[in-house]
Amino acid sequence: MILQGVAGLAAAGATSLVILIAWKVVDGARPSISKFGLAFVWHDVWNPVVGREAYGAASFLFGTVITSFFALLIATPLALGIALFLTELAPRVVRGPVTALVETLAAVPSVVIGLWGILVLGPALRSNIERWLHSGLGFIPLFGHASAAGASIFTAIVVLSIMILPIVSSISRELFLGVPPELKEGALALGTTRWEMVRGVMFPYARGGIAAALILGLGRAMGEAIAVTQVIGGGTVISWNLFNQGDTLASKIAAEYQGATSNLEVASLIYLGLILLVLSLAANLVAQTIVRRSARKHGVTRGGRA
Amino acid sequence: MAVAAAVAVTVTTAAGATRATTLNGAGSSLIAPAIAVWAPAYAKAAGVEINYSAVGSGAGIAAITAKTVDFGASDAPLSDSQASACGDCVQIPWALSATVPTYNIPGLHSGQLRLDGPTLAKIYLGQITNWSDPAIKKLNPGTSLPNLTITTIHRSDGSGDTYAFTDYLSHVSPQWASQVGNATSVAWPGGVGGAKNAGVAAAIASTPGSIGYISVAYVIQNHLDWTKMKNAAGNFVLASAPDIEAAAQTVKSVPAGNKMSIVDPPASASKAWPLSTFTYVIVHTTSPQSSDLRHFIFWALSPKAQKLINNSFLVFAPIPKVVLVAAEKTLNQVHS
Repeated sequence: MILQGVAGLAAAGATSLVILIAWKVVDGARPSISKFGLAFVWHDVWNPVVGREAYGAASFLFGTVITSFFALLIATPLALGIALFLTELAPRVVRGPVTALVETLAAVPSVVIGLWGILVLGPALRSNIERWLHSGLGFIPLFGHASAAGASIFTAIVVLSIMILPIVSSISRELFLGVPPELKEGALALGTTRWEMVRGVMFPYARGGIAAALILGLGRAMGEAIAVTQVIGGGTVISWNLFNQGDTLASKIAAEYQGATSNLEVASLIYLGLILLVLSLAANLVAQTIVRRSARKHGVTRGGRA
Repeated sequence: MAVAAAVAVTVTTAAGATRATTLNGAGSSLIAPAIAVWAPAYAKAAGVEINYSAVGSGAGIAAITAKTVDFGASDAPLSDSQASACGDCVQIPWALSATVPTYNIPGLHSGQLRLDGPTLAKIYLGQITNWSDPAIKKLNPGTSLPNLTITTIHRSDGSGDTYAFTDYLSHVSPQWASQVGNATSVAWPGGVGGAKNAGVAAAIASTPGSIGYISVAYVIQNHLDWTKMKNAAGNFVLASAPDIEAAAQTVKSVPAGNKMSIVDPPASASKAWPLSTFTYVIVHTTSPQSSDLRHFIFWALSPKAQKLINNSFLVFAPIPKVVLVAAEKTLNQVHS
């Protein structure tokens, strides 16, 4: 009875906290909402000069979507590969240290990764990878002229993939470890190869959990502010060239909120936060749907099986 | 941040019914190194601690408007709407410094690049895109300039340096004034943004062919490359303390509200550095800390305190007499 009460109170507290935050964000954004309306979302302008103030979220929304999408695209196969290696392939001696190292990556503060991004990663990407991608795959609009400075959307993508890699890989590793040995052994006993066993038994079993891990990673990528601010270079342009500078919703807020000079600018920055909030909630809902549907389709949930 | 400041203020008010022992300030990062020198000296002289957070000029104005700090500091003077939002606030010029264009051109040492205002504006407008452009060559006879694309670097956060820099470009380029304008953060025509002085410095260091602008103290401490700028008199100058002071000497009278712009000073100041700027302290005229604030700011304006921050590391030039008189007059409005 007491436990129920406490748990119910905690749940109610968490829910009302979310509602309170959402309300506060809407309230803070109100001057901007009443001035620009919904058109704010697709207007591609950001001018804080007094007398010419005009704000819109389009380029930042674009930046958030494109950086988190590509970061996930890069990080997912690597993370799953690491998780498989650590659970199935690596010699037992190696597993502990490598697992610890990968998880240490998650503990590096984002501002440190950002600094490393400016000083080391950015210039290295610009002078090598970006040029190489442009000369080899330049016909794809994504790989335009290499950036002059190390700061670019591409650098932000790589930094973000590094940041979400440990999240996805450590959750996936746990999921793979949770696959019942009798299922794996059964498959192997039926004469499947190891890869067929991974594809036919482990992936389907862990599918829902992996989707949830990816969404966690996506949330991290969309919300990361400091490291992205440091390496993305800033700018209010929508460009398919990944080597251009840009901004994400979070990086714009981080860069300008402290120095914002007018009420309208502050409200517009909070409006960006509101869009980010909606985007994260939507991503979460999609994730939950995927997890539920995948669980139903395969009839295997870890809870159900135990 | 705001919460921490608010807590500190409450503590001060509670303990300081007779005399506050701490003054809390926030704002400009340009003045931060000066306050870092002032704070221990003032603690010794008056027994009052100065807590300062370099959160940026805009945030400093927001903080003093919300009264979460005892004083705000800003390199950009209050706009009309900010002044009215702040209520009984006054702004007092209390230090004089400069922003400096700095570059990364392989083969060129510090002080070797010479630019003038219109050329700098064209570079930032994206109209001059290569270091071997005839306009730059003309200003640099005898210097071999590489055939290298120019990358412009700017502050991505709101900053007093950006205010001074865009103020200057608006003065020397009508197109800049009409197309971009002057503020602590503007809609840049292009280029790469770096977060704070450190971000700009890092972007310049890692980008051959880049140019940016940074506070003079930061330029000195980090051994960055100085640009020689051509002033209205036609002389090429470096941002030394006497040259910054020469720009400030052109102020003959101080307007009510103390809002002054000393970028691109007239040709009569033959040595003036054209990108100089006053930096302001903003206080409420009436507050529980008024007498302590007045004492501190009078002390900061004193020759002794001004001398503490004018050396080979900090380069804050002394405030000219006429401005000092106006500053002290404004300060006398602050009372408890």
